[in-house]
Amino acid sequence: MAIKNITVPDVGGAAEVDVIEVLVKAGDHVKVDTPLITLESDKATMEVPSSDEGVVKELKIKTGDKVSTGSVILVLEVTAATPVTEKKVAAPEKTPAKAEPTPVAKPQPAVTSSEDVHAGPAVRRLARELGVDLAKVRGTGPKQRVIKQDVYAYVKNYLSQGGGAALPEAPVVDFTKFGAIETQPLSRIKKLSGKNLHRNWLLVPHVTQFGEADITGLEAFRQAEKAEMEQKGIKLTPLVFIMRAVVACLKQFPQFNASLDPSNENLILKKYFHIGVAVDTPDGLVVPVIRDVDKKSITDLAKELAIVSEKARKKQLTANDMQGGCFSISSLGGIGGTAFTPIVNVPEVAILGVSKSAHKPVYQDGEFVPRLILPLSLSYDHRVIDGADGARFMVHLTNMLSDIRHMLL
Amino acid sequence: MSETQVVVIGSGPGGYTAAFRAADLGKKVILVERYENIGGVCLNVGCIPSKALLHTAKVLDEAHEVAACGIEFGGVKIDTKKLLEWKNKIVSRLTGGLKTLAKQRKVEIIQGVAKFISDKEIEVEGANGKQKIRFENAIIAAGSRPVKLPFLPDDPRIIDSTGALELHDTKGSMLVIGGGIIGLEMATVYHALGSEITVVELMDQIIPGCDKDVVMPLQKRIQKRYKNILLKTKVTKVEAKKEGLWVTFEGDNAPKDPQKFDRILCAVGRRPNGDQIDASKAGVKVDERGFIPVDKQMRTNIPHIYAIGDIVGNPMLAHKAIPEGRVAAEVIAGKKHYFEPACIPSVAYTDPEIAWVGMTEMEAKAKGIKYGKGVFPWAASGRSLSMGRDEGMTKLLIDETTHRVIGAGITGPNAGELIAEIALAIEMGCDVEDLSLTIHPHPTLSETIAMSAEVFEGTITDLYLPKKTETKAE
Repeated sequence: MAIKNITVPDVGGAAEVDVIEVLVKAGDHVKVDTPLITLESDKATMEVPSSDEGVVKELKIKTGDKVSTGSVILVLEVTAATPVTEKKVAAPEKTPAKAEPTPVAKPQPAVTSSEDVHAGPAVRRLARELGVDLAKVRGTGPKQRVIKQDVYAYVKNYLSQGGGAALPEAPVVDFTKFGAIETQPLSRIKKLSGKNLHRNWLLVPHVTQFGEADITGLEAFRQAEKAEMEQKGIKLTPLVFIMRAVVACLKQFPQFNASLDPSNENLILKKYFHIGVAVDTPDGLVVPVIRDVDKKSITDLAKELAIVSEKARKKQLTANDMQGGCFSISSLGGIGGTAFTPIVNVPEVAILGVSKSAHKPVYQDGEFVPRLILPLSLSYDHRVIDGADGARFMVHLTNMLSDIRHMLL
Repeated sequence: MSETQVVVIGSGPGGYTAAFRAADLGKKVILVERYENIGGVCLNVGCIPSKALLHTAKVLDEAHEVAACGIEFGGVKIDTKKLLEWKNKIVSRLTGGLKTLAKQRKVEIIQGVAKFISDKEIEVEGANGKQKIRFENAIIAAGSRPVKLPFLPDDPRIIDSTGALELHDTKGSMLVIGGGIIGLEMATVYHALGSEITVVELMDQIIPGCDKDVVMPLQKRIQKRYKNILLKTKVTKVEAKKEGLWVTFEGDNAPKDPQKFDRILCAVGRRPNGDQIDASKAGVKVDERGFIPVDKQMRTNIPHIYAIGDIVGNPMLAHKAIPEGRVAAEVIAGKKHYFEPACIPSVAYTDPEIAWVGMTEMEAKAKGIKYGKGVFPWAASGRSLSMGRDEGMTKLLIDETTHRVIGAGITGPNAGELIAEIALAIEMGCDVEDLSLTIHPHPTLSETIAMSAEVFEGTITDLYLPKKTETKAE
């Protein structure tokens, strides 16, 4: 029987993730793929399954610990492929007698500086002098060692991106001077989103193009199909139609389905159509991505959307579920309001905000008739999209929605 | 009252290095030293004199051993007085040289014992009375002193490492209390000069802190030559009588009856002098063991007062004090420098020498680090054999996942010189193949490092180790 350290697998580029749940304890028998712990990174949770079958000898982590790729989760006594029950019972009794010294410390791969970065002492000194965190620098030396040029390049890049530009500081106010207060920590999701939204706001020159879509016909269609759809357990929301309409527009205006490359000099046009849909959860806003919207029918999309929203509210979304989006849609129509200015979800270049539809008088053929009007707010990255394109996209979108048969053309 | 930008308390390797560096960076520096000679323990009663004597001990031993090669010297005549003079001349040459360096840099040296009277002033009490020095920055480099065992009687035959270097009496039997580096180095000298040596050590090996397999060749060699090495044993009582010192032992290997020795060398460790400088008057925190806690820029809890060397912590080594002294001076001069080495080597200048750096196997196991090792026995080294030695070894510790060099232990003549290569390898984050692919000259002892790397990789041709399969980094 071999002793094996079960480690955290690749956590998708996140440096450190929280252990929010430990699902096994010492003495438990686990099979291959038995979930061992639950990790939370960004807004996604992931379970770490066991890579082997065996008996948990000792846990190396507890709820609340921070771990990263390669951290030891537990020590497993790997049992033979064909489990023999008598042997398994004997195993936990034998091992305590060995009494190996096992402190809870995380194993470090090599004894280097506190950041454990592959860099010689001269480079480490340079980093200290420039105030650079070596863990953030990409090494281009032999075996990805960080060399002095890498440190200088990092600093240059940081400064040119204005990342080092000093932001004016907000004043610190003692609010107790004015009355009673209560301090509430921001949720994890809010803290993470906050950082991203701030960054997006700073990086992208936003313009929001407002528009109105006449969805009287769409709504009539939706109501007509409602009974049959309910029988199939499907809920047809206006959102799925908007998603298909958006895809039709992205095909017509490919620069909306793109991202700027790192040099900011090239546009990477995407040939796929994955749409991010903002979902409000008790902990905050998350944006799961629906893939290949162009290839799915309205009913497919409705089904998938329902599943994804449920997963989001149950905090079961994985990091994978939230990656790969081309364009985002944020619908506040269910709540209310006339219009808002959504923030572009970098690295995308556009986002559609949807507000509450309302009956409004529209001048048609010499008279005012009541029509159901859906307010739309299209924010876009003005580096990539100019005003004319923004307006054209909006017109095309409202056209699609005012008569969904246009989508067949 | 004198005023200065930087006052350095203590002129050992840490202190004088800090003083000279600060002066070179444009600061006005006063260096305070309690003794007439500068250079601290290292130059006067530590590193330098002990190495000088160890050199002569080595020559003596080699002169005896070369008889096996057919070269016989007649009887050996040892003039301890002349040996002492030669040793003292070396020390004077170095301390004199230091005084010249200080003069060239206009570093003022004030002799006396320094104590703080506030966080801006010290008072130095010297031969000419007391004087106050007002400072902008202070660097405490007051070092350490040998630990005294309370039950040892006050007798001139009971000495510490400082007294041992005076070579008052080198014949007869000597008990060395403490099987660490200092005790064993002094034992080497006295044995070569004709003493009968017994070593008593509390732990289960000599030089605790170094892996057992690295220490073993030395232990075997001295076991044969010394009267006794009593491990897991301690001294409980010493009675000073006219005919000798009667020592009572306790422990696994303790002799039942008290034993008589002509001399006792007490080498049970050193303690920091943090309790000797009235640090509290400056508000400087000193812990219960006498160490002064500092951050990575050598600052104490008082931002303009720094501390370096033995007084801030283990390992108490000159080559830790020196770079700490440099950093302290550079930080005072406004540089963003930090003392954060990846590793600090340790050396025992016994014969064979023992040197180690980075992780030991004991540490790696305790930390749960998965490591592999490559061990090359010097019995297979042409150079070692042609020096008439076969007991040495080189051991590399390699991280199993990344194949980076994380530690090494070397035993044999010149181990202290050889270990520097591994210190560099660890600092540069070398992989084991960086060592095996670097061409080391042949025939040398240094090539045993490349060979240990090859042993780990399973590619060695100078040994036949068929069970090892070739390993590549993941």
